[in-house]
Amino acid sequence: MANSSKVSRRNFMQQSALWAAAFAGGGSLLPGVASAAREKELNILCWEGYNSAQVLDPFRSSTGATVKAESLTNDPTMINRLRAGETNVWDLINVNNPWARKVMAPEKLIQPLDKARFEPFFDKMMPAFKAPYKWAMDDAGANLLGMAQRFGPYSFVVNTDKVSRATAEDQGWNLWNDPANDKKYGILESDDWNVFCICCIAGFDPFKVHNDEEVAKFTETAKRVFKGAKLVGDIATMNQSMIAGEIDFHLTGGTYSASPARADGHPEIRGVTPKSGPMEGGKGGISWIEITSQVNNPQLSPLASDFLEYVQSPEMSHKVAFAEGTFNPVAQMGNPECFKLFTKEELDAIQWDSLEEEMARSAEYDIVPDYDKLLDIMTAAKREASGG
Amino acid sequence: MRRLVQLGQGEKSAIPLLLFLLIGFAAPLLAVIWFSFMPARTFSLFAAPSLANYATIFESTSYISFLWSLGLAAVTVILLALICYPVAYGIVRVFGKWAMLLTLLFTIPLFVSENIRLYGWILFLIKNGVLLGSLKSIFGLELESILFTRTAILLGMVYVYLPFMLFPMTLGISMVPSETRDAAFDLGASRWQVFREIELPLSMPGIVIGFLLTFVLAVGAIAEAKVMGGQRIIPITHDIEIAFTYAQNWPLGAALAVLLMLVVGVLVLLALRRFDLDRFLGRR
Repeated sequence: MANSSKVSRRNFMQQSALWAAAFAGGGSLLPGVASAAREKELNILCWEGYNSAQVLDPFRSSTGATVKAESLTNDPTMINRLRAGETNVWDLINVNNPWARKVMAPEKLIQPLDKARFEPFFDKMMPAFKAPYKWAMDDAGANLLGMAQRFGPYSFVVNTDKVSRATAEDQGWNLWNDPANDKKYGILESDDWNVFCICCIAGFDPFKVHNDEEVAKFTETAKRVFKGAKLVGDIATMNQSMIAGEIDFHLTGGTYSASPARADGHPEIRGVTPKSGPMEGGKGGISWIEITSQVNNPQLSPLASDFLEYVQSPEMSHKVAFAEGTFNPVAQMGNPECFKLFTKEELDAIQWDSLEEEMARSAEYDIVPDYDKLLDIMTAAKREASGG
Repeated sequence: MRRLVQLGQGEKSAIPLLLFLLIGFAAPLLAVIWFSFMPARTFSLFAAPSLANYATIFESTSYISFLWSLGLAAVTVILLALICYPVAYGIVRVFGKWAMLLTLLFTIPLFVSENIRLYGWILFLIKNGVLLGSLKSIFGLELESILFTRTAILLGMVYVYLPFMLFPMTLGISMVPSETRDAAFDLGASRWQVFREIELPLSMPGIVIGFLLTFVLAVGAIAEAKVMGGQRIIPITHDIEIAFTYAQNWPLGAALAVLLMLVVGVLVLLALRRFDLDRFLGRR
């Protein structure tokens, strides 16, 4: 026994040398291995939906590939995963509209798509997405940076049995300036969007640099809004609380967050876009459009572009729109072949009846230049609201 | 090399495990500590270190979150001690053949994710939900829900951490020899005296382990305040999460985590100085 387990100096050094060689060789050998392996491997960093089995399984079985998708629910975290060095992990990143054009492309975190292959798909999308679509292109308008698919208005949600749609649209963000509404509302745990909403409640455009007076107004508004909230929580909690009567309305929200409740037989839960507000052109609401881009991965999987093309088909677009989690309109609904796949119930769930006017009343999501400062103020306000 | 030659067979064999522990356990911890000295909102570990993040924390209102976390954990421990001691006593001394069933009932929920259990409480407690909806339809009673209040957070914490107090206590009580109790009774001790002078001191190892385990876990609680409390309270763990996600301020999050580790570490060490586990366990 002693002999069999004996580790001589020579044995030990031999084994150590072998392991050291394996690790050292990794630098030159592993990429070759990885590259070959990546023919059948695809990694997607996305909002929920693209990671669902309904979307991924047909692609897995048709390509025989190992497809991994990680879902996160805020853009800054995903972008910073790439900044922190994960560009060699992911092949596709799916985030909201401004990030590809204004942040990821300039920072070389993503790489352009083959324009000849992908631009024709935009012509089959809804009119607002016709090529060259602003958020899919770089600043120079030369490179195609990603594909558009899901989108929607995203301001706030009301229970129309408690606050009528007309009242909510007319009062808009002032619903949160009325002391009578204290403890009647919730706040969705979506801190980046809540920064936008607090700016709107305070009466100024979120998507610009704010002066000292506006920052002071933001601070006061954030404290007041969080102090007056009945609860802060996730989408399920917001919808459940509105249906149960704990709250009458909540920010931030829209088709994306209200659709699961609507699809579940609660048409009284409705995303609302204010008729007017502080955004450029007097627009009252905010909208988002997802752009899916190819990551600047040194060993990008060849399946990345195949997957992007795969989700453009009418059938897959419909599946993406109604994947698990939340339900959303897709740009591909501009194609009659895709539109006819949506049932009346599905169109009701995504508020198709008011989609066009709500999008027209919404400013498109953009980068907030002083986001870090405003987020810190809002986080402190949230914390202080719990202190009293 | 010369040093390596002098290593015994055991030490050499332990090298892979030591390396594994260093890489898997010590390195991430050291990375978090080092990150806390990096400039705010950077993702690099190679900038000039400073104490700026700690200064930011001390200038901010983060103390509110620390106090909530420590306070809620302390109250949870006290409530659990009061609830669990009689139950543990019953399991060991009273319930007989039902003790196993009871133990199983307390264990089974551990197989279900904490979040799912907490959402179950939401459905139970929410306005027009299982409890209030039933009271309304059967008795016509319209009561306010306790959801999204501090009481709801405490209820969630007591519910989630109950097994972590109950089982060490059960072990502690089962360590008290029946002969010692019987002898005390034979010598004329009252029930109260037996409890105070025999059972409580001899079951103290289990009680202290239960206290420490529950306190350390409860200080790190986040889901109860988020789900059942509707974020009416922001515990320090939630502050850390915000720093690492929406704020993308990893160095600040790391500094908060280091401070939390320090505070909890000091409190646990103080408790261990007061209650010497080795002495309790009869090792000296």
